[in-house]
Amino acid sequence: MTQDTRARGAAPRAARWALLSAWSLFAGFPVYWMVVTAFKQPRDIYQGPFFLPFVDFTPTLRAWEHIAGPARDTVLHGLANSLLFAAGSAFIAVVLGAFAAYGLARYPYKYGPYRNDDLSLLIVSQRIMPPIVAVIALFAMFRAAQLLDTRVGMLIAYTWFNLPLTVFLLTDFMRRIPVELEHAAALDGYGKLAQIRHVVLPLAMPGLAAAYLLSFFFSWNDFILALMLTFRDAVTLPIVITNLSAQMEPRWWLISAIGILAMLPPIVAVFLLDRFIERRVLHAPRGEDS
Amino acid sequence: MKGPKHLLIAPPLLFFFTISLVPLVFTIVLSLSGYSIGGAFSWVGVDNYVRLASDPMFTRSYANTLLYVFVGVFVQYWLALGLALLVNQVARGSQPLRLLFLLPFVMPPLIVGFVWQTMFDSRYGPLSALLGALGIGPVLWLNEARLAFTSILIVDTWQWTPFMFLILYAGLRTLPREPFEAARVDGASDWRIFWDHTFPMLLPASIAAILLRAIEAFKLFDVVFYVTGGGPGGATSTVTLQGYFTALRSGNLGYGAAMSIVLLVTVMVLAVVALLTLKRLSSRRARRVERKLQAFAVEFRQRAAP
Repeated sequence: MTQDTRARGAAPRAARWALLSAWSLFAGFPVYWMVVTAFKQPRDIYQGPFFLPFVDFTPTLRAWEHIAGPARDTVLHGLANSLLFAAGSAFIAVVLGAFAAYGLARYPYKYGPYRNDDLSLLIVSQRIMPPIVAVIALFAMFRAAQLLDTRVGMLIAYTWFNLPLTVFLLTDFMRRIPVELEHAAALDGYGKLAQIRHVVLPLAMPGLAAAYLLSFFFSWNDFILALMLTFRDAVTLPIVITNLSAQMEPRWWLISAIGILAMLPPIVAVFLLDRFIERRVLHAPRGEDS
Repeated sequence: MKGPKHLLIAPPLLFFFTISLVPLVFTIVLSLSGYSIGGAFSWVGVDNYVRLASDPMFTRSYANTLLYVFVGVFVQYWLALGLALLVNQVARGSQPLRLLFLLPFVMPPLIVGFVWQTMFDSRYGPLSALLGALGIGPVLWLNEARLAFTSILIVDTWQWTPFMFLILYAGLRTLPREPFEAARVDGASDWRIFWDHTFPMLLPASIAAILLRAIEAFKLFDVVFYVTGGGPGGATSTVTLQGYFTALRSGNLGYGAAMSIVLLVTVMVLAVVALLTLKRLSSRRARRVERKLQAFAVEFRQRAAP
């Protein structure tokens, strides 16, 4: 690198870091604000804004004591439901999605005019439909079937929510697994189920994990389905928070503290997702046929 | 393998019919009725749709939704592309930066709504303190129609730019290096390299990001629900929000259903238009590549045979 190009690179580099810092501030500040708010006294919120703990306000565990004390059962109830729905529906969606994806990748289908690609499109198209379209009718249907505000009902609703996504992601993934491996296993005397268990499943693992984590993430973050279909027994964490805020002055310290709790599972999911995506890149099957 | 084959694909199709198609038909039927919670069922034909056209709250929500989608996706795409290019140039230490950029996307939308409600608060919010320090008087972010609309756009951009960034950055990482090095050796400017190489090669990732983002943008609900509740006077309302209030809060199931059907038809029409445009564009591009290849082959043969 010559002296000239190095001088030319300095100004853009400074500009680059200035822009990146500006965006980091914009992206990070609201998160920081939520975290400090969770450690504030009400008066430090309403007389604020105060920015730095120990400098312009004294942090307190008041919100956390409330969560561990009087609000414990409510919060735990919501947390347990959220975890159950997100983890459970993601699991069901991945299992059903994997079977369907395997079928779509390996066998030709023909239902009337609908072939494999049409079927995929049909399934994925549900994702395009705004939830409000289905949810009004779903409300009436769930009420008739007595599924409203039940855990089973919510598991069904979230599985429906995620299944198009898992089918879509996994079909592509299954196509990349060379069919020759299964043929080779068949020659070695493996039955169809054994082929799937010993050949397809290990190869599909990173894709299954990615689909699982994405599904988990979307169910966890859902608000509209829970808002419309639950009231008391099957409420999720977002609904618990909503109920906390249904007052004249929302209790921001409490909402922020639960907000931190609500952010932890998706953060873990994204970290894991990142690792699995890396692994998928490294272990991508060679000699793709598609 | 006849039976198992059909069994494999049965569950998603079953879900499709029972929880997508049946409700869709049900919603269409509902939208042609005057049915309300606790009321009697009565056919009203297309009355609900006629009423929608002259309902100022609905037309406003509809226009808002389209504006959120077009302005939001446009702004977020270019921001995300810029950020992806910048981060891509960072040689070392880009991982913490990436994770920081992804934080807003990881926050549950409802928490996003709450946090930004405190951010915008005119009495104790940090934004007004910042502007106050700059000598700008108290800004009532959420009380004036245009400002409130802009506020929602800011929150939406904060929340969703990371998602587009993620897709575009992943796309950038998979691009081959050789064309860029060749162009640089030829002395092309950064600007030319971007338009001649980066942008066209990134097109599939861009299309995926824009389509996925637009589909989600049409569903905009939670953030508006919390930050402004659709106000002031419907200035920030969306079709989903309006449909929710009409159908489930006021109990006008028929009228609310009609709103959601209008939204669905809009999304479907735009999706079809987008797909057709893409098809034409990609076939035109394929033809151009073919022409280039032919020209290259001709030139090659001429050179090879003196």
